[in-house]
Amino acid sequence: MAMSKVKKPVKPAASQRTWAIGFIIAAVVMWTFYTFIMFRLPYQVQTIFQNWLPPTKLNEAMVWVICALGLNIVVGYAGLLDLGFVAFWAIGGYSAGWFMSAFFRQVNWHVFSTVEPTLPGIHISFWGVIFIGGLICAFFGIVIGAPTLRLKSDYLALVTLGFGEIIPQVFTNGENIAGFNMSNGTKGISPVDNIGVPGRALGPFDFSWKFTIFALLTAMMVFISLRLRTGRLGRAWLAIREDELAASMMGVPLMRTKLAAYSVGAFTGGIGGVAFATHVNGVFADRFNFSISIILLAMVVLGGMGNVWGVMVGALVIAWVNSTGLQAMGDLVNTSLHTSINFPSYNFVLFGGVLIFMMLFKREGLIPESRLKAIMHEGDDASANLEGHH
Amino acid sequence: MKIRSRVFGIIAAAALVSTTLTGCSSSNDLIIATDLPLQGSSFDSNDSTNKAIALYLKQQGYTAGTYKVAMKIYDNATAAKGGWDDAQCAANAQAHVANKHEVAVMGTYNSGCAKIIVPILNQDPTGPMAMISDANTNPGLTKAWNPGEPDVYYPTGTRNYGRVCTTDDFQGAAAAQFAQSIGVKSVYVLNDTQTYGQGVGQAFTTEANKLGLKVLSSGVNGEGWDAKQTSYEALFTKIKALKPDMVYIAGIFDNNGGQLMKDKVKVLGDNTKVKVMAPDGFTGYPEFNKMAEAEGVYLSFAGLSTDLLLANNPTGAGAKFVADYKAEYGVDPIGSYPLYGVAAVQVFMAAIAASDGTRAGVQKAIFSGAGITISANDSVLGKEIAIDPATGDTNAIDITIEVVKGGAETTVTAWTLK
Repeated sequence: MAMSKVKKPVKPAASQRTWAIGFIIAAVVMWTFYTFIMFRLPYQVQTIFQNWLPPTKLNEAMVWVICALGLNIVVGYAGLLDLGFVAFWAIGGYSAGWFMSAFFRQVNWHVFSTVEPTLPGIHISFWGVIFIGGLICAFFGIVIGAPTLRLKSDYLALVTLGFGEIIPQVFTNGENIAGFNMSNGTKGISPVDNIGVPGRALGPFDFSWKFTIFALLTAMMVFISLRLRTGRLGRAWLAIREDELAASMMGVPLMRTKLAAYSVGAFTGGIGGVAFATHVNGVFADRFNFSISIILLAMVVLGGMGNVWGVMVGALVIAWVNSTGLQAMGDLVNTSLHTSINFPSYNFVLFGGVLIFMMLFKREGLIPESRLKAIMHEGDDASANLEGHH
Repeated sequence: MKIRSRVFGIIAAAALVSTTLTGCSSSNDLIIATDLPLQGSSFDSNDSTNKAIALYLKQQGYTAGTYKVAMKIYDNATAAKGGWDDAQCAANAQAHVANKHEVAVMGTYNSGCAKIIVPILNQDPTGPMAMISDANTNPGLTKAWNPGEPDVYYPTGTRNYGRVCTTDDFQGAAAAQFAQSIGVKSVYVLNDTQTYGQGVGQAFTTEANKLGLKVLSSGVNGEGWDAKQTSYEALFTKIKALKPDMVYIAGIFDNNGGQLMKDKVKVLGDNTKVKVMAPDGFTGYPEFNKMAEAEGVYLSFAGLSTDLLLANNPTGAGAKFVADYKAEYGVDPIGSYPLYGVAAVQVFMAAIAASDGTRAGVQKAIFSGAGITISANDSVLGKEIAIDPATGDTNAIDITIEVVKGGAETTVTAWTLK
């Protein structure tokens, strides 16, 4: 629908407002449904919802959205291809493991924590750890950003790929670094402390609370993304994305701007990582593999690079297909046609196919950013060759 | 646009019709869930476990005491990971609690996954919900092992987790004793760096040192092998210089065990020259047994292997059940875990019969008072199963030693711990 209106563009601010209201309505509907209605439904109907859209998976999907929004800043806004974003997710996760669990039994530090003060380990409140995790990631974003400033496109992608491989390996093998157990190896760190809210600590069944918290974090990230984009920094990012040389000629400080993209993106990834660790109630090294980076990138590309709402829709759809959708559809086909096809094992085939089709027919993504779409379709009317334009 | 919306409409209608059709049958039954990884290379064994449990429930007429019992299958693996997935385990745990007809969970296969699920089931407001595993051998789930264990898994302080298999501390020790009995003087221990591999490696190393075997690897649980590596020739070349009589591979086959075995034979020669022994993480994999390089590998199993069960008690409930399984599905159960899965369900069936039909009732039947005991006559394991209500551990400390011969696991002996 939105595509047909491109010729007569809606005022950007108005369109953003529509999307934001849509997001709030969707979140409120979901919250109300899963908090008040779901458990009152007949058992069979409940089972259908448990099979097709279990509440836990909704929370997990929001972690994906947060991470995809972070990657969108690096890839979508600044145009710096990042194939190792999983590293930030991992660092965020381990921040939660380090600062809100009994893992470091050598010490006994408690800061606004929900657990008993006698429990050893570092126990900082979730609300603090979110920022600590984000800041640690932002630092590493700069660490990865700094040496890559002179690299472009493919070379840059390779360095980020290396970073995304190294960090999880460090955690996997970090059980004995000169006698110090940094990560507990593949055994991971579990459990992590519960999230504290006024008056109490959230247990594993406080779905509505966690949903609210995750939705607020997502909303915060959307807000930050949107405000940054319209601001000075965001416009500098877009300028770099479209033509780095021209941007630098116009006085955009390349180094500072690129580093800012890396650190803001990484900060978001870190928040996602901390949220995920509280969602799973632990952090496990072997989750953080290359395919996570690729899935995140696919969310950004499919959804619409640079468009916050597109990325959000892309992330929700792909997260759902990945976790429940394909399985549920497979069960449906298998029970109705009496077959026994293992649908989830075709996940990546499906993925690859969809990506190829998108690149052939809708390169700008599901909900394209108007600016990117304009560039990609520049000269379409004159049926000119797209490749020649940039 | 029009065509597209019509397609969506048809799909949605089909979805509603078929889900309501399939969902009608069992609205008032109590449900025993199974929670196993059904993707990746452990699929064969776990699929067989689910089939065995389905057959067992059918034989019991889906009845325990005065209650009707049904089964629901959960998968804790994802295709992307090719094995158990932390997020999937957490989601399954929530789903178990949310499904109000579920009273107990049979699983998991991997100890790591159990460590995520057990605390959630433990905090179930209508529970705690009982879980019994057929295959978790990590000691920390039920007894003091790593710092904080096992209490970290039971936030409410009430136990809700048990198992019908033996733990790694026994398995590793038995393996070391067996190695000594076949004349091994020196050994190099490798582990897959995971919870299970390190646990069993540690138990083996400790016992080997006690027995006076020369342990050539350093560290309390041996040297880790990286499952992502494409070649282990360098690792085995290093080991070759130390001239061990045996390599003990503590880990699971899924962690690139095939490549590890290929490179072992390539560098150190076949398994008669330098022997290889592995724990039950290498049992139940037809693709491992069929490898030429696996010939002669000794395996231990934390329980009694199916053929040993049959040999011990050829007329008992276990032997009859295996025959029934073959009659029903045309093949034998794969590996030795399917019978243990059924044993866990036997415990649940007895507990449900003794309970008031609620989660808390089932949990109380198993973890308070005298607990649940299945007599040797009824047990599919051919011997008594008693779950200790205080710890959840089983009284049957059985270890089977097997050898891979002609592409199949063959029982050598049942090992009694010294």
